[in-house]
Amino acid sequence: MRIKRSLQAAALIAAAVLLGLLTVQGSYALWNATTSAAPGSVSSASFDMAMTAVNSGQTTNMTLANGTAATLTLSPAGTLGPGTPVYGGVQVTNNTNAGGQFNTVITAGQPTIANVSGGTLASYISVTAKRATSTADCSNSAGYVAIGAGGLDSPTVAKNGSTIFCFQASLSSAAPTSLKGQAVNITLPLTARQCGVSGGC
Amino acid sequence: MKNSTLIKGTAAIAVGAALLLGGGGTLANWNAEAAAAPGTIVAGDLNVTAAAGVWTDRTGATININTYKVVPGDKLTYTQALTVTLVGDKMAASVVLANVPANTFTADNVAISPLKLTNTAGDVTSNTVLKPVNGSATQTVTASTVFEFKSTTTGRSDVAKNYDLGNVSYTLTQLTQTGLS
Repeated sequence: MRIKRSLQAAALIAAAVLLGLLTVQGSYALWNATTSAAPGSVSSASFDMAMTAVNSGQTTNMTLANGTAATLTLSPAGTLGPGTPVYGGVQVTNNTNAGGQFNTVITAGQPTIANVSGGTLASYISVTAKRATSTADCSNSAGYVAIGAGGLDSPTVAKNGSTIFCFQASLSSAAPTSLKGQAVNITLPLTARQCGVSGGC
Repeated sequence: MKNSTLIKGTAAIAVGAALLLGGGGTLANWNAEAAAAPGTIVAGDLNVTAAAGVWTDRTGATININTYKVVPGDKLTYTQALTVTLVGDKMAASVVLANVPANTFTADNVAISPLKLTNTAGDVTSNTVLKPVNGSATQTVTASTVFEFKSTTTGRSDVAKNYDLGNVSYTLTQLTQTGLS
């Protein structure tokens, strides 16, 4: 009996294997062909905006490699005094490697003026700004205006194009002589944004 | 007795020879022959080849994907023509694509339509049965996908990112039909 059952089991297994082989072989018996293609890689552009100080020529990217915002010292030319403002400026260049159109607008925000070493000079300082087409325009006192709440926008800056902001710091005629030798830190935030692809900025 | 046996043997030989002569007589009857040409068995064909793919931008202009850098607002379309050869009276096949890699951009910043196949009748899925067309051994199936970098992308998100679409494969497989086993 035991031998008979073993033989039956073996026969059953053999039949199952044979059936399986026949089934698999059947699917491979039909023709098939394959081709492949490499569509390539979709790569996004960089968003590199270079800033160059007008007076010193110092340059940096608006965003550093670690992703943080850069700080550029503008080093105003001249010595500030009543009736003798000082000037500085920054040239911003759109250095993106975008494949298509990549227009930008740069906005200079309102300045923050902070006293240094416990001084009181800040309240006598005013900062005005203007857009310029050349760095030489910065030393021309004409055209400077206060920066409004919405900031001062540049014209549209296309790929590889640039724009110039000039800044003027003036000392109030009411400033007392006790302020001589004091210094302030003036911070001017610059923001670059991409314009709409189909629309304007 | 000996003579009798000899006579009988001789008679038997004579009868056999007479039978042989009689058999030879059938060659003299009518006969005819005819030739037939069963014809040639010709195998059909099944093949798929891919033409070079083309990338276009939102305006329809062709771009070189190897050098082009996308920015928010860009919309690129990839199109590739597949030439499918199907020959055979009982030929039928399906075509499927594989090896489409997953997106590597931030999901919220892009809209990617999955690579799909279409022909003149509409979408071609793995369940679509392609058959030979009249008058031509080949037919065209088009593979396409759309990559949109959303203009709602903020900050510097996905700057200098890369999405490699790898090697997409298209496989054409014959389907069994009635009369085939």
